[in-house]
Amino acid sequence: MSSLTFLETQKDEYSILEEWLKAKEFIYVGREVRRIDALDKVLGRAKYVEDFLIDGLVYARIVKSSIAHGMLISIRPGRAVEHPDYITLVTSSDIPGMNQVGYYIPDQPALAEKKVRFHGEPLALIVASKPRSAEELRELVEVEIKPLNAVFDPLEALKDEILVHEEHGSNIVLKTRVRKGDALKALQESDYVVENTYRAGHQDHAYLETEGALAIPNDTGMTIILPGQYPHLAQSIISRVLGAPQSKIRIIQPAIGGGFGGKDDMMPIIGAQAALAAYKVRKPVLLTYTREDSFTSHCKRDPAVIRYRSGASKDGKLTVVDVEIIFDAGAYANRGPFTLWRATAHSTGPYEVPNVDARGLLVYTNKVYQGSFRGFGNPQIQFAAERQMDELAEKIGLDPLEFRLKNILRPGSKTSTDQLVEDSVGIGEALARVAEKSEWFKKRKVYGRIVDGKARGIGLACAWHGISTSRGVPDWCNAYINVAKDGSVTVYTGIVEIGQGTHTGLTQIASEALGIPVEKINLVGGVSDAPDTGATHGSRGLSLGGTAILIAATKIKKRVQRVASRVLECRPEEVELKNGWVYNKGRPEKRITWEEAVKRCYSEGEDMAATGYFYMPKGKFDEDKGRGFAYVVFSYMVVAVEVEVDVETGLTSVVRVWPAICAGRIINPKLATTQIHGAIIQGIGYTLMEEVKLEDGRILNPNFTDYLIPTIADLPKIEEPIFVEDYFRFGPFGAKGLAEMALIPIPAAVSNAIKHAVGIKPSEIPYTSEKLFKEMLRRREK
Amino acid sequence: MIPRIEYYKFENLSEALSYLRNNPDSKIIAGGTDLIIQLRSKKINARKLLDISRINELKYIQDGSEYFRIGALVTIEELKKSKVIKDYAQPLWRAVNNFAVWQVRNTATIGGNICNASPAADTVPPLIVLEAKLKLQNIERVREVKIEEFFKGPGETIIERDEILTEIVIPKKNSLWRYSFIKLGRRHSHILSIVNVAVGLKMNNTKIEDAIIALGSVAPTPVRAKNVEEYLRERQATSKLIDEASREVVKDIKPISDVRASAEYRVEMSKLLVKKALNECLDIMK
Repeated sequence: MSSLTFLETQKDEYSILEEWLKAKEFIYVGREVRRIDALDKVLGRAKYVEDFLIDGLVYARIVKSSIAHGMLISIRPGRAVEHPDYITLVTSSDIPGMNQVGYYIPDQPALAEKKVRFHGEPLALIVASKPRSAEELRELVEVEIKPLNAVFDPLEALKDEILVHEEHGSNIVLKTRVRKGDALKALQESDYVVENTYRAGHQDHAYLETEGALAIPNDTGMTIILPGQYPHLAQSIISRVLGAPQSKIRIIQPAIGGGFGGKDDMMPIIGAQAALAAYKVRKPVLLTYTREDSFTSHCKRDPAVIRYRSGASKDGKLTVVDVEIIFDAGAYANRGPFTLWRATAHSTGPYEVPNVDARGLLVYTNKVYQGSFRGFGNPQIQFAAERQMDELAEKIGLDPLEFRLKNILRPGSKTSTDQLVEDSVGIGEALARVAEKSEWFKKRKVYGRIVDGKARGIGLACAWHGISTSRGVPDWCNAYINVAKDGSVTVYTGIVEIGQGTHTGLTQIASEALGIPVEKINLVGGVSDAPDTGATHGSRGLSLGGTAILIAATKIKKRVQRVASRVLECRPEEVELKNGWVYNKGRPEKRITWEEAVKRCYSEGEDMAATGYFYMPKGKFDEDKGRGFAYVVFSYMVVAVEVEVDVETGLTSVVRVWPAICAGRIINPKLATTQIHGAIIQGIGYTLMEEVKLEDGRILNPNFTDYLIPTIADLPKIEEPIFVEDYFRFGPFGAKGLAEMALIPIPAAVSNAIKHAVGIKPSEIPYTSEKLFKEMLRRREK
Repeated sequence: MIPRIEYYKFENLSEALSYLRNNPDSKIIAGGTDLIIQLRSKKINARKLLDISRINELKYIQDGSEYFRIGALVTIEELKKSKVIKDYAQPLWRAVNNFAVWQVRNTATIGGNICNASPAADTVPPLIVLEAKLKLQNIERVREVKIEEFFKGPGETIIERDEILTEIVIPKKNSLWRYSFIKLGRRHSHILSIVNVAVGLKMNNTKIEDAIIALGSVAPTPVRAKNVEEYLRERQATSKLIDEASREVVKDIKPISDVRASAEYRVEMSKLLVKKALNECLDIMK
């Protein structure tokens, strides 16, 4: 096991968090405060990137490769130059800085140079004075590419016969490993062993708003308005491409029509493309991706092949997990090193397993590249892990719920990487409560029969998800709060509102700490003018972003207490801030307004601005041994799912879902519930219908006619979520992450329910109606 | 991107027809819900567009003594809301009830759904089963063709370049006819059919006197299932007969594999849907 490293310089911050964790009564936290952006969005006042009308604006589109693998010989504007609206063609040779936008491995150009590696790769930008002309002119651009043999199947790519990146020398980007005990020996000695291969396909984010960025050059640098998820990352990548200091690049967040991780990866890249065009033409440039561009050229959830062996003893204890995980990175590594590591570390599921050997391979192919997507490598592996649990339970002769309860992580357990989880482990309770609420045992007995061509089944699955960055990868958050003389408060955070409601939750946290109404606070989020708060990903926005705001606000609160104590005739710690009043706790009639207190602070020399920097304590992971500290805390999820399978057509309907989540303190139950709903729906799409169809690396269905996402008619009844509030000591009031959680167990839960309904074991997702039908036909013909 | 196009709009039929006579290279646009997408993806190249959407004389549903007449510019949503269609053209009403999304239904017209000649068009198998005729008009004359003779292949019909489809004529048949319509997609709504089936049975007590069956999305054009019809005619309706007859459908269809479904799945679903549609028809009688 490993212990956390605490920084001496962060002692005050630790004690602030500790103090708030003890709080019992709240005014704003835990309440269903209305979203602060609701009215603007409902009334159409919210401004998205395309709504900023600027004088002299010109328009850009990407010119894409129609070859999956080849040598780029030339790109010329061709007949486009004859058009009156033509402005310029931007290619890699126009880049003043580095043509490098790789996230972790420097393998990816902003615009292709010398080589193209996937069908849809951006080669150039066409700039025109009208959007329609840009659209028209890009088809006239003359591109010469000498085709090379391409490789599409990751297993084929492992042979290294065709190299996607020659300079790397192999298609294996990297390997990951987690190890403890002796897996091989345990496999031989286990009473029961189950072995299966699982596959998962791509998933497109399918956000309502496609990608776009507006770059505005000025005398000193560039301002870029973009719907990203991490303004400071966009700032740093754009500065690299432009060869300009980061401080000269300003990022502003408009309203955003959905992110789900995709815009975390894409917007630094697309922002850099837009900035490059603006740099060349010295005019504001709006670069937009059409829906088809978005499908062909933005990252997708990583396809996976997972070979999974696991064992258990007669008495129902897990003995071993031995797993090989192959993630198809596509043409560029992007976030693959991290999605794969996450999958490797989470490969056991949230259970105690004494012997583990998990090996990951990240492989290049000539396809659109992988990227961040709600769950980040985890839905694929939990699908395999949780299908295995049902298979093992069946082999032992145990109910799947009972088998899980015997092995579930509890406080004091050790995880796959041998990390001790001491507290904030509520999943055992969540499992038991979901079982009771869904009438698990009764339905397991009654269902599984065909009535009028339809069969019902109930299945469940668990998930765990490490919050914050993995291993020793540094993670921090920050916020800046400024109290104006009139007592109104501005909060600056790098955390982005991507529809999840986090800005409302963060405002509630500031309100609670300062004891003032939500209306008094103006939250400015997602801008590079705020201190670097890290990304809005990994379910960390409310948790880490909130921690920073809580610390900054508490610093100000303490100053107000100090000043107010003099008029209220008590000690500073006896001064209470609540509902806009500052009063003596022992004698509440002795009080002044918040505004009065602020005025006094200004005149008595108190600093009314504060930052709230927090550096997350981390442990060490030993890469050679494959064990040690993985994550500072985990959130947990349980879902029970009821399906109805039409045995004649194979069409599966998810009819009811019972969710339970262990995400620590719930800051806003309404927002938490909507996040759970969204994640369940996206999970159902991933499990049953969302499929990127490829032919020689070309996407055949880059549209919503044939890339199917669930409609309202495909939705189940989702029961009120069960919140098991297992507090996290470094989260604001004990909050952990939530937004990704409900998607992660859905593929396995739905598959386990299909198994219960009709006896068929889905081993790949999406498990479409045609696949299910064919499997039933095959079984009947046997 | 939509290539640059000359655009013409007329508000009465005769003007549109005389324009068309002089500009036979024009493509006709009504609701545009299929055409715009095809222009954008360059599946269709047109230099000239004739917009007929404002020709109000083609927007009517008439309930006559021998025929229903539907103007070609009646929208799918109007059909869905029509009591006449609901009461007397059941399979068509069923088809328009699970047809795309509200915004599309508000713009898409029945004439467009027919003339677009998609093998998967949901209104066509019901119209075949209802033995509808199409009125095709040019500047000089009107001709009537049976709807099932209208299609030549995906996107191809027998319509002449100077003709406009103006009306769909549905004969009123005697009350011994029963109808049903079923469609199967890859999700529960807002979805193109993998297979759609319309069935009409003329019953004399438990005897099937006549049968008309049509399927969509399983051949280059919507097709009649003549082998199934033949198998059923003049026979007693038993579940054994229905089972056997449904299997005959494989002789009537020629499905392909595409991004939506494999040919194999379409064959199996055709058999199933024909059986279900037949059973549904017989259930109505009970």
